[in-house]
Amino acid sequence: MILRLQTNAGTLTNFEVLDFLRSRGASTDSTRVIANVAPSEFQVYDYLVQSAARNQTRESIDEFLTSWVKFDPAKAEKLNLINIKPSPAIEIDSIVENCEQRMGNEDEALVKMIIEMLPAPGKPEGTNEDPTEVVADQEAMEAVLPPSTKPRGTNEEETVETVGDQDSVQTLSFSTVTIYLYVV
Amino acid sequence: MFFLSLIEHTLRLPPHLLNLPLDQAIKGELETLFWDKVIANLGLCVSIYDIRNIDGGFIFPGDGASTFTVNFRWIMFRPFVGEVLSGEVEESDAKGLRLSLGFFKEITLPAHLLPNPSKFGEDGKWTWDFNGTELPIEKEDEIHFKVHSIRYPPIPVEQEKDVKPFAPMVITASIDFDGLGPISWWV
Repeated sequence: MILRLQTNAGTLTNFEVLDFLRSRGASTDSTRVIANVAPSEFQVYDYLVQSAARNQTRESIDEFLTSWVKFDPAKAEKLNLINIKPSPAIEIDSIVENCEQRMGNEDEALVKMIIEMLPAPGKPEGTNEDPTEVVADQEAMEAVLPPSTKPRGTNEEETVETVGDQDSVQTLSFSTVTIYLYVV
Repeated sequence: MFFLSLIEHTLRLPPHLLNLPLDQAIKGELETLFWDKVIANLGLCVSIYDIRNIDGGFIFPGDGASTFTVNFRWIMFRPFVGEVLSGEVEESDAKGLRLSLGFFKEITLPAHLLPNPSKFGEDGKWTWDFNGTELPIEKEDEIHFKVHSIRYPPIPVEQEKDVKPFAPMVITASIDFDGLGPISWWV
């Protein structure tokens, strides 16, 4: 009997999930057959690796968030921006509501800031790798998880998450077939 | 896109796992039970995050296995309405498109949520007619889309033979906003 205690015990950015899967041993090279990571987790890992989260680090995300504080973005907007790095200014419009009202003419400056702080995704083959790099920290930043975010419109509790270390565990079974099960 | 969900479950641990340390055995059992499954209103289970609490260990009469009450957290894939995601086109037909994220393929983009005016060409591609410029949606494009709604249809009791396999979680997407759609449209 499954009991849902907390539907939303915390939000994770793509980067955090990627980090977590990496710490479990997922990677793109040939050692993946030995790692105790399920094929379904590998699919998630493959998706995240070629997404915008690939080049992020905790420090770059922290910097990005502190620089956005003055616009008072909603948590959902912060999450969207970190997960999908919008490059043209117009993409910010679809993420941040009332973009013109709040930011006015600062769009350009913002876009530049985003490109600097969050390295652009680029294709994994490396042919068109974006040469922009993460701006070095000026002050010492603690490597803290980004504040947990909550989508607008839901009234669920949020907690600040810290990543626990996962022991490397031998799993007993590999599920190679995806079965959909409806559990109440 | 990803959330943590705290779940409590009464788990029966089969006796052949008794030689393993308890947390490993429980982790393995939970993984078998939840990996890649969809829980209604919680989303798709991706990975176990941690085990908070293990209680119990009772053996019920007539049973060789011990039963534990476990509190644990799973990473769930559950996008919220209004989230912008990035995915690829999987198929496209007259009713709309189907997008995929690699690990999750049930994202429908119905025709009415494509930017107006769009039309469906004979080559199977949707094209947006933007002030005279034709912008097609190719199959290899990476598409930014906004989540319009998520549905968890109830499990059907009976299905006909050749119908598509049942999808317990269906996301409806929309690209009817500035900045959404294939990235090549906005660069």
